[in-house]
Amino acid sequence: MTSTRELIDTLVECATPVRRLRPPFVRAMLWLAFAGLVIALIVMGHGLRPDLALRLHQPTFAVTTAAALATGILSAIAAFVISLPDRSRWWLLLPMPALAVWISTIGYGCLTDWVSVGPEGVRFVDELRCLSILVLTSVPLTIALAAMLRYAAMLRAGAVATTGGLATAAITASALPLFHNHDATAMILIWNLGTALLITGITSVFGRRLFGLLAARLLASGTQI
Amino acid sequence: MARAQDGDRRAYRALLEDMTPYLRTLAARCFREPSDAEDAVQDVLLTVHAVRHTYDPGRPFGPWLVAIANRRIVDRLRRHIRARSREIELSSEHETFSPDAANFQCEDTAADAAALHAAIATLAPDQRVAISLLKLKEMSLKEAALASGRSVSALKVATHRAIKSLRKRLRQSSETP
Repeated sequence: MTSTRELIDTLVECATPVRRLRPPFVRAMLWLAFAGLVIALIVMGHGLRPDLALRLHQPTFAVTTAAALATGILSAIAAFVISLPDRSRWWLLLPMPALAVWISTIGYGCLTDWVSVGPEGVRFVDELRCLSILVLTSVPLTIALAAMLRYAAMLRAGAVATTGGLATAAITASALPLFHNHDATAMILIWNLGTALLITGITSVFGRRLFGLLAARLLASGTQI
Repeated sequence: MARAQDGDRRAYRALLEDMTPYLRTLAARCFREPSDAEDAVQDVLLTVHAVRHTYDPGRPFGPWLVAIANRRIVDRLRRHIRARSREIELSSEHETFSPDAANFQCEDTAADAAALHAAIATLAPDQRVAISLLKLKEMSLKEAALASGRSVSALKVATHRAIKSLRKRLRQSSETP
């Protein structure tokens, strides 16, 4: 085992100048811009759904999409802020109001249109296409977020992974209705909440492991002379 | 810290040396064993080094350092408690050495050991050397390679073959008593 004095010598020897991180808000905006770019590319590839303008006038649809988008933006900001060691944990609460609105509008939609949740309410015809959009959106966003927040591995891995996962999930869920026609309420519920739970779950479970690996690599690369 | 971020090594050394006693006090509150506390201090120093770019010179340094230290110490403490719940620390009487004098045997194991040694004696010379160095004397592959003058991969192959034939021979001898 190296003594602490030797460790300090080694650390001082590899103390190369480092570039300071930009403020968390700026970095969150950069990631959101990247998310916008990814979605724009998918729009170019898949094309928008034909009745989007019409649907945006419907309050439930507009509120659900806006709430999902707000949840995505706010949780991205929260993830970047709490990834810094000296910021308060209260930032975790930032996306909660938008998340509550998002979940409650989906629930409200389900309650009012309860009748449409019948056997025909669940259709799996175009779902494969929907799944491909989901993967195409969420995978690059998750990779970008993990790369931008890798230093948080040794600090608040669990909280950052979960908030980051929520950000990716909400952005993906808000992008899905741009392409896909989910008139059946049950499908809206499945896709919105399913996406959110799936991505948040995967990132919070595997994010810890990923961050564990990243932490080991960071420590190893930090002390290489 | 701001100067250390710009690559000023003297400032960085002064900073690390100044923070070490403070970190030691923090760690000593949580760990009873001084060596565990020292490990925690080193962990914090390594983390500070790895995330030094996250420090914003516009903000106070103290809370930044304390947050990192607390995080690492709590993480270590958690791992420590988890490890203690499923691991038993070895005391000196559990230690063992390869020379025969240190390994007294009861009757049951003595018979097995004799059969094993007899089986080893029948192995091809290169396999016998590999087993004796790597398994009986518990040398590492590198040490055994140095002692026997053979390559690491040759030793690995010899050990693999030796264990295979030992298994075969011992099975045969147990089937035909």
